[in-house]
Amino acid sequence: MLTYLVVLLDDSSVSYCHYENGCKERHLIDLDVLKHGIIWAMKENLNIQFVYPDYQLPEEYRNTIEMVDHTKIGPIACGENLDVIVLDDLLVRSQTDGCYLWRCTLQELIDNKERLVSILSCATRLNVVLTDIIKWKQSEFDSYKDILDDLVDQMVELYQHGKRAQLNLLTDRLLLSSMNNCNAGDTTVVLAPDGKFYVCPAHYPNESVGSLHEGLHIPNRQLYNLDHAPICRHCDAFQCKRCIWLNQQTTTDCNIPSHEQCVVAHLERNASRTMQQRLKEKDIVVENSQVIPEIDCLDPFEKYNRWK
Amino acid sequence: MEIRKIVGKVTPQENKEIQSLFERRNGLNELAKILDANDNELYEKLVKDLGETSTKFQQWWNEKAKKYGWEGHPKGNWEINFQTCEITLVVNE
Amino acid sequence: MSDIKLIGREWRAGSCKTITFIVTKDCQLACKYCYLVGKNSKERMTFDIARQAIDYILSHEDNFREESVVWEFIGGEPFLEIDLIDRICDYLKKEMYRRDHRWFNSYRFSFSTNGINYHEEKVQKFIMKNSEHLSIGITIDGTEIKHDLNRIYKGSGKGSYQDVVRNIPLWIKQFPSASTKVTISSEDIPYIQESVLHLYSLGIKEVNINCVFEDVWKNGDDQLFENQLMELADEIIDNEYYKEHACSFFAEFIGKPLNPEIDNSNWCGAGKMLSIDAAGNFYPCTRFAKYSLRDKPAWIVGNVKDGIDNNKLRPFLMLDRTTQSPPECNACEVASGCAWCQGENYDAADTHTIYQRSTAICKMHKARVRANNYYWNKLFRKLELQEYEEQKRKSMNVIC
Repeated sequence: MLTYLVVLLDDSSVSYCHYENGCKERHLIDLDVLKHGIIWAMKENLNIQFVYPDYQLPEEYRNTIEMVDHTKIGPIACGENLDVIVLDDLLVRSQTDGCYLWRCTLQELIDNKERLVSILSCATRLNVVLTDIIKWKQSEFDSYKDILDDLVDQMVELYQHGKRAQLNLLTDRLLLSSMNNCNAGDTTVVLAPDGKFYVCPAHYPNESVGSLHEGLHIPNRQLYNLDHAPICRHCDAFQCKRCIWLNQQTTTDCNIPSHEQCVVAHLERNASRTMQQRLKEKDIVVENSQVIPEIDCLDPFEKYNRWK
Repeated sequence: MEIRKIVGKVTPQENKEIQSLFERRNGLNELAKILDANDNELYEKLVKDLGETSTKFQQWWNEKAKKYGWEGHPKGNWEINFQTCEITLVVNE
Repeated sequence: MSDIKLIGREWRAGSCKTITFIVTKDCQLACKYCYLVGKNSKERMTFDIARQAIDYILSHEDNFREESVVWEFIGGEPFLEIDLIDRICDYLKKEMYRRDHRWFNSYRFSFSTNGINYHEEKVQKFIMKNSEHLSIGITIDGTEIKHDLNRIYKGSGKGSYQDVVRNIPLWIKQFPSASTKVTISSEDIPYIQESVLHLYSLGIKEVNINCVFEDVWKNGDDQLFENQLMELADEIIDNEYYKEHACSFFAEFIGKPLNPEIDNSNWCGAGKMLSIDAAGNFYPCTRFAKYSLRDKPAWIVGNVKDGIDNNKLRPFLMLDRTTQSPPECNACEVASGCAWCQGENYDAADTHTIYQRSTAICKMHKARVRANNYYWNKLFRKLELQEYEEQKRKSMNVIC
């Protein structure tokens, strides 16, 4: 069932996920399209997430947006009171309480570990999105495991000092008892500046699935649902985003993740397990946290491959 | 005139053994047709291999015939059906 | 059941890797039902590309763990490239032996040919040279009328039946247990019964005959098809062809419901096999090469230089019956034996996926199920009555 509408306010709206938005040319959504999109979402009873570019919108746009309950995702440069602040780097001027999102490569994560911890000591939540996992080999997996182990130490220390920051890579899995994914195409759909719908922002402008005029039509919609993902439906790396764009880039099919995606998700899951055990040793209770079992495999495909 | 009679059966494992030897021997025979002077090392290896494989092949038949006591005939030979593991005595009168 | 000849199992079924060399896209024929929409005379594989592919495959044993291998050569018409094939096969034999590869003890060379140049000296020389390791199928579609409906020479449009049938005796002499593959499209339906019987009369004891997966069926085709199969069933049973001949239309397992958990395997080998084109690209099956596809881009899973991208194979290796099927297929009461082709799934799908099952064949499958039920009911009843008569005759000979 559709639950969210993501509205890209501009062609250059910031990326908040794995895909890179290479479009630097500004093209603001037409005001009428914006209004129609909002009304459509209200009729469909959807939560709206507005994704901002790196400049301030005209007043009439801001007023229109304020007519409806919503979430704002964008860079600091857009001048809004954002719900999710998308960072270019971790040199955050005013380190305040809030929810941040940082897209980075593995090397950037390693190089900025200290700054990351510093943000966690102030922020409510930090989402880290790794942008280069397609290229990872064993050495990168090893490095990622090491940095996650370091971050576990840092997080446990923060918890000991009463700071319960959320870091998606580690704390999400502690609190989840079922899959919590991007759900593009399943519960979430995108409205782009051209007035057309897309399953994912990365598909804009080539693969629309309808428009405000013609309505929404997602072909093979069942393939975006977990029960049609033969690897994922057996998996318990619940924090994985199951990014369908990454799936299409690597395996061609939107419902099948790559080996790299599976390993990354399981390294995170295992790090969460380590954190859970360390917190328990220190008698720090995390409410509603279910025990994360031990596993011996980082890629569920290895277990369910019937062809070997 | 050819007379055929099923005289016994071997186990799947025994069947697999002889089939492997049979296939290898065929492969060696067909490889021998295409090796030339440029493949001296390979040819020497093949000649030795063919001898050993043929010996093992014959040994298998001798051992199993003795083990199972299959009916034989002076003008006959045994054949194996790899699908069914059955041994057939084929006599040419 | 010992009185009934069944379709033979494929060589080393279940433990065999099929590796296909698309040696040429040229063919003498322009068969109307051919799914190879992009045939041409320009794209020929070079020996160097084949060699690079072989070197990659034989040096990556971990990626190819099957006990046996079938090296398959297709086109177009593969025997148009007999010199290349001969050279490739010689290289394969030497390399498998030189590397002590386990496949040296368990391999076949396989060909699917239109049969037109089967008799030619070079082809025959190749056959003699590799006789113990060959599997050659000649495609002959049945009677002359049926065969020439579709299997015509390019350019002239003349039927090819006469040029094929003259080679059948030689082929059967060299491969007594050979079978043929027959394809049925809409226009062929009226000729099914006579065609199968005609193939039997030529000495072909196994006829693998199937309807195309593509959406070519017209209203009423299923009823015509069912009638033809019923007539064929009567002929086979009344004249006892079933004792020494087999036809793939009739199989006991067809037409039963399937358990969504136990009977969920993917029967199609796409992803498990490997296909290589003239440019050295790897495909999960030939059906995913550009020249086989109508609308979609090719699904390449690697190449001779970079090797196999295992991520691109994951969708194939995870495909099962229920995930790709619409609800009506999963609930179908006669589902067993209803096949799919992952290539056609992909080509016909609304998106770039193999997980949307093409169901163009549905009505034809159901017609087949009805005829198949008739066949086995009639045959088993006949055998039962024969057994009863035999027992009765024996008991009357007993003196009390």
